[in-house]
Amino acid sequence: MANVRLTKVGKVYEGPSGSAVRAVEAVDLDIADGEFCVLVGPSGCGKSTTLRMVAGLEEISEGTLEIDGARVNDLPAKDRDIAFVFQNYALYPHLTVGQNIAFGLEQRRVHRSGVKAMLTGASAARAKESEAIAARVAEVSRTLGLDALLARFPRELSGGQRQRVAVGRAIARDPKVFLFDEPLSNLDARLRIETRTELRLLHRRLRATILYVTHDQEEAMTLADRLVVMHRGRVQQNASAQECYERPANRFVAGFIGTPPMNIVDGRAERGGFAANGVSLALPARWPSLNADQPCALGFRPDRIRLVAAGAEGSVSAMVAAVERLGDRTDIALDSAWGRVVARIAADDAAGIREGDACGFEPDPQHLHLFETGECGARINPR
Amino acid sequence: MKRSMAANALLWFVLIMGTAVFVFPLWWMTAVSLETPDRAAAAMTGRTGLAALPADPQFGNYAEAIRQTGSIEWMGFVDALANSIVVTVLVVVGTVLSSSLVGYALARLRFRGSTPLFLVMLGTMMLPGQVTMIPLFLVFRQLGWIDSILPLVVPAFFGNAFFIFMYRQFIAQIPESLVEAARIDGLGHLAIWWKMVLPLCRPVTAICAVFTFIGTWNDFMAPLIYLHSDEAATLAVALNDFRGQYGGVNNVHLLMALSVLTMIPCIVLFIAAQKTFVEGLARGSVKG
Repeated sequence: MANVRLTKVGKVYEGPSGSAVRAVEAVDLDIADGEFCVLVGPSGCGKSTTLRMVAGLEEISEGTLEIDGARVNDLPAKDRDIAFVFQNYALYPHLTVGQNIAFGLEQRRVHRSGVKAMLTGASAARAKESEAIAARVAEVSRTLGLDALLARFPRELSGGQRQRVAVGRAIARDPKVFLFDEPLSNLDARLRIETRTELRLLHRRLRATILYVTHDQEEAMTLADRLVVMHRGRVQQNASAQECYERPANRFVAGFIGTPPMNIVDGRAERGGFAANGVSLALPARWPSLNADQPCALGFRPDRIRLVAAGAEGSVSAMVAAVERLGDRTDIALDSAWGRVVARIAADDAAGIREGDACGFEPDPQHLHLFETGECGARINPR
Repeated sequence: MKRSMAANALLWFVLIMGTAVFVFPLWWMTAVSLETPDRAAAAMTGRTGLAALPADPQFGNYAEAIRQTGSIEWMGFVDALANSIVVTVLVVVGTVLSSSLVGYALARLRFRGSTPLFLVMLGTMMLPGQVTMIPLFLVFRQLGWIDSILPLVVPAFFGNAFFIFMYRQFIAQIPESLVEAARIDGLGHLAIWWKMVLPLCRPVTAICAVFTFIGTWNDFMAPLIYLHSDEAATLAVALNDFRGQYGGVNNVHLLMALSVLTMIPCIVLFIAAQKTFVEGLARGSVKG
């Protein structure tokens, strides 16, 4: 196992008529030995390109990539000692499950077959090597519960089984780094959650260094030791999942992490408060750097909202637009002067709420976030 | 849907007529090959009709045909058969290997000028063989290859435009991630072609091999042009020896017997390959 370090890594594609398209910009990333690092972001954010650069499937345009302390920018994929799990699994269709798992090991044999081997007496060594490969395949298939499937072809397997074979193929070689490119997105929802847990357990058992790409922020949060949120080719935040959720570094991260997403309202600072569309809210005096009349955005999570009676003092008046009952909790969409706001409350508290009701809401003053304006407006830190 | 009796009858009639048209030459050839020399010659000139089944089948005609092939008794046939087998096997192997390799390069490698090259290659398909016949002969004569199998075999190792096109289209459909997975597993382009692309291309290879086999086995023109001596002749050329000096046919029963023998490998191959064609189609339909 090894650590992976990206320093100012960038990817520039040559666009049509010689223009340069930047897919990835100045990514700095330091993944510790045995860490489970997840790259997450909307499609086209550069996460897959970053992963493919680490794998050696894309050339690195700028910056340095180090694996285990050695610069590997110019090393071909096969010499980087990495394993890659593809979204569509990329199992070799003409090989059985067992052969698929053994394939990488077979390619890395030291002792070749043939007349020369026979003459130099390497046949015994080769036989020993074959035994070792067979033992490794057996071990891996036992770990992943693939024993009964070894003689099958990939086309005879279900999606979940194929996915396990793909993982098996990766771990058989015992590489320094595992790279996963959206490995769960071809599975159905229930299987995805099961496999997620399995991956997490596998990581704990192998203590492997993993770089994992997904667009699913829930998957990212449950798996990650470290979460790297990307957008428009740049890293927006690089922290633990909890940190990204509780202290999003900017407005993009705030909106991307968490379901339903954080409510974000554009407005401006007022003396002692925040105002948008003529409706003000008193802020606890905790934002020393905030100037009066400065444009900013206020964010609050749906589960940090209290519903109050219409017209209650210090609340924002609203009308219930939609009620989504999810069993233990209820999501309520509210139309207000601040636009559409979603509140998530306990099902018991929502029992009497009907669409069309007039009410008011109050964001929890202890859990407010302020951001500068703009799509990626930086977080304004409270004192 | 149930067809009416009349529609069924009509369908059968058309099918039977069509089959008759295709079977007639085969039947005629086989029937003549089993006739006595007199009756065969008479049937040839149309003086008498031909019995559907020869009254007195002359199976000895086959042995006689083999004996008289070429200039050396018995061995002439063995020579011609060996020549045909060597040429055909080499051409099939050469065509499959070179066409799939070039197809892989055109489908998977990004290099400057790959598209123009591909178009030029397709363009060569428009050239009729007759146009290049004489220039090619001159080239091979300059190389000193006349009366050897080299002019027949060597070009096969430089690909066949149509099969390159077929391979390229097929290989382009192989998911990119498979090739990438192989790269990570330590394979270079040649190894990817050999260990992954060729096994996956089995349906194309079956078609390519069968068509090339039949085309080469039956080829008369090229061996006739390049192979001059009796020892070098292939079966297709050796058959021609049964024609008289002035174009007439003296021993039509022997010519037909040898023709039947020559056809057997093609018929066997076609029946065997039919299964592979169908299997190939079925494999392609299952995503894997």
